[in-house]
Amino acid sequence: MSLRIHPVYAVGLILLLALPLVAYSDGMKAVMPSGLAGSSLMHIFILIFFFAFMGQAWNIIGGFAGQLSIGHAAFFGVGAYVSSILYIHLGISPWLGMIAATGFAALVGAGLGMVSFHYGIKGPFFTLVTVAFTEIVRLILLHWEFVGAANGLLLPYEAEPTFWQFQFTGKEPYYYIALAMMLGSILLVSWIARSRFGYYLHAIRQDEDAAEAVGVPTKRAKIQAIALSAGLAGAGGTFYAQYTQYIVPDDLVIGRISVEILLGAVIGGAGTVMGPIIGAFILIPVGEASRLVFESGGAGGSLTTILQSDAGLGEKFALYLQYLGAGGGGGLAIILYGVILMMVVLVMPGGVLPWLRRKFRSARA
Amino acid sequence: MAEKEIPERQGMSLFEATGVTKRFGGLTAVNNVDFHVEEGEIVGLIGPNGAGKTTFFNVISGFMRPNDGDVRFDGKTILGRTPNQICKSGMTRTFQIVKPFPEMTVTDNVLVGAFCRHSRAAAARRKAEEVIDLVGLGAQALKLGSELTVAGRKRVELAKALATEPRLILLDEVMAGLTPTEVSGMIEVLARLRDRGLTMVIVEHVMQVIMNLSDRVYVLHHGVRIAEGSPAEVTSDPAVMEAYLGAGFGVEAAP
Amino acid sequence: MADVYLQAVLSGLMIGGVYALVAVGLTLIFGVMDIINFAHGEFLMFGMYAAVFGSILLGIDPYISALICLPVFFAIGWATHAGLIRHVVGKGHAIQILLTLGLSLTMQALAQFLFSADFQSLNLSYSAATFDLSGARVSYPRLAAFLISMALCAGLWVFLQRTDTGKALRACAEEHEGSLAVGIDLDRMYKIAFGLGIACVAVAGVVMTPFFYVAPVVGPGFTLVAFVVVVLGGLGNIPGAVFGGLVIGVIESLAALLMPAPSLKHLAVYVLFVLVLLFRPQGLFGRA
Repeated sequence: MSLRIHPVYAVGLILLLALPLVAYSDGMKAVMPSGLAGSSLMHIFILIFFFAFMGQAWNIIGGFAGQLSIGHAAFFGVGAYVSSILYIHLGISPWLGMIAATGFAALVGAGLGMVSFHYGIKGPFFTLVTVAFTEIVRLILLHWEFVGAANGLLLPYEAEPTFWQFQFTGKEPYYYIALAMMLGSILLVSWIARSRFGYYLHAIRQDEDAAEAVGVPTKRAKIQAIALSAGLAGAGGTFYAQYTQYIVPDDLVIGRISVEILLGAVIGGAGTVMGPIIGAFILIPVGEASRLVFESGGAGGSLTTILQSDAGLGEKFALYLQYLGAGGGGGLAIILYGVILMMVVLVMPGGVLPWLRRKFRSARA
Repeated sequence: MAEKEIPERQGMSLFEATGVTKRFGGLTAVNNVDFHVEEGEIVGLIGPNGAGKTTFFNVISGFMRPNDGDVRFDGKTILGRTPNQICKSGMTRTFQIVKPFPEMTVTDNVLVGAFCRHSRAAAARRKAEEVIDLVGLGAQALKLGSELTVAGRKRVELAKALATEPRLILLDEVMAGLTPTEVSGMIEVLARLRDRGLTMVIVEHVMQVIMNLSDRVYVLHHGVRIAEGSPAEVTSDPAVMEAYLGAGFGVEAAP
Repeated sequence: MADVYLQAVLSGLMIGGVYALVAVGLTLIFGVMDIINFAHGEFLMFGMYAAVFGSILLGIDPYISALICLPVFFAIGWATHAGLIRHVVGKGHAIQILLTLGLSLTMQALAQFLFSADFQSLNLSYSAATFDLSGARVSYPRLAAFLISMALCAGLWVFLQRTDTGKALRACAEEHEGSLAVGIDLDRMYKIAFGLGIACVAVAGVVMTPFFYVAPVVGPGFTLVAFVVVVLGGLGNIPGAVFGGLVIGVIESLAALLMPAPSLKHLAVYVLFVLVLLFRPQGLFGRA
């Protein structure tokens, strides 16, 4: 299998492989803005790799096959819970748990796909089904004592963790694992893109009836796509649970992880191989940077105190402005995400990557 | 062009529709129509606007279920099978309102069809290139589906279907929207295909095409089959003339 | 025992009336412009905040706020269409979903920034007032919410049936190209439809403030319920949305009684939603 890697990506890969070696150095601390070296820097990259991986998983069904799912948090959650339960209750290594999580999430995805596509649910109705489905899963988890209900699952902290316990004292192992997962997802999707399966998915997205007419088994292909997509999302769920040591039904709330998963893929370029990667590399730094700049958190006091104080309206307003200036209630990073999404949808609906490619093509012509 | 002898029906036809009826609410669009195609034939399907051609075509190509009747390809019924299954078994159709994949190149468009018989990309690509040459799209192979002219889209539509290596191809008004020159070009392509042994059903308004290519012609009017025979027979049939031109024209006696 | 069920049905009907108003706005937008508005609930949320802060800071009663919010949010809806939605009309549902999703995300985060993530609620003198109706307790604020919602739905219906603008809107819903041919200014119609839809959903939020809490995250729940009602009642079908809203309200209320935990009532609604999408996507009143 021949793989042509654009020199930009090759250089990027080498830099990424080398980053942990210099992240903690004094040189890095001098160069980076305050608080952004060492552990925090590693954390940001781990997030980038994680969301790139998740975006790539979503890309298979959402980008290639064009079935817009806002419900991938359900698959992510299923995966995270499965591996965590296996570890907590049966002591099974989360590495094996990840395999189980992938399989289980894939089954769930296939089930959802089989039911939806068999009944011909398409387009916005499919999106609505994924939203309803995620809420159903979340509500079940929220009320199920065995999985911790509202408190979720806390993964036991091991003082001297072994490799098999998928817990590490430093950030480096998580970094390289996440990087490996991201690279693996790129290889997988790039193989798909050049295979019959990939062409079939593209055809389904662009014109499902025309695809059906020339022999594309549309229902089967869509089910395969969503199963694969869900399985990968489940694996991502395991990683997330192991990294944060905590999984809770709240993580499945629509509007958080579910949307952040597809955000990178859509912004970078849904349906392309590197789109989700580029999207994650754009979004996460933007989000983290805005958090650093704007959210000194709580410095302005709480809103409730301002509201309930005895001050007059004018004074309250002044206090309120101070409150806003200190970052208000937080969430500025998400505002940015939302605005970027809207801008991309309006100005470059195919995503940043196709837009860049078009610019380069016309520049060279 | 010399009159071709109408082939005798020997045993099982390649394609056979019997008693096909399709109703929409109170309207009977297709009424008990029989239709058969022998291997190697080109069969035309004509009729004035509103005759039920499109509905009949959708039924026989597997995109609509009839209320009554059976449709058999190669001896096996197609009813209840999905279009992609029908395509896999050797029967493909084109769409009158052409549906190229807009964001794919011509090559990739045809590739999707080629994958029907070749699961590996290299072999499928070779097939696609062969078909693209056959329909004369070689020069536009890298154009996107959305960038093609009407004539180009018609050829891509045909190429996509051909790439699935069908034994029978159903062409839905493949000439619609083409200039006379483009029509001639397309006739040439279809003739080449016929010479390679491809069986075809052609729905058409352009009489030149029907006369030039068809071995047999069926005429539908108000959902009913009113004539069947060679092109010459059918076009001199009084009932057919009446259907197209209105009552009063069909009474002219043949000289 | 029957009392409990009567209670559930009554309170279900009352909240159902509000759901109907929310859904009517959504179905109007979809019917006229074929736009799927994923940010619908966020406008409701901002309506609620307007009422809550109007009450806490300025002492304005929510019912007065409702009157003020009608034209204000109509204007906001108009402006949102003119500035944002207009660009994706006719561009396919995927793009519309993504744009309105982005809008929803932005509005939620904006609300969090401005108002913090804390839950706010109003504790008015009449918040807990009830009266007796053959053994069941009826809450005044909920009844008021129901009556106002129904009145607005009725008003909208009359507007669509009797006025020229209303008829023009219905023409757009039925036949886009045809209405262009008759000289209807499509863009203006869309702005009006969007404005009306947003005004409805914002007022629905306002009338809930005497008995419901507000937080930046309440939007998506209402958006989802609105979609359930709209699908049940039929896309673009306003009486259907009213009926569907009442039905969903009652089902949710009964589910709160019958399910192992009251907060699982939403589960019943979502499962019903998936079943409707699978087996009767045209809704209760549509043709297959």
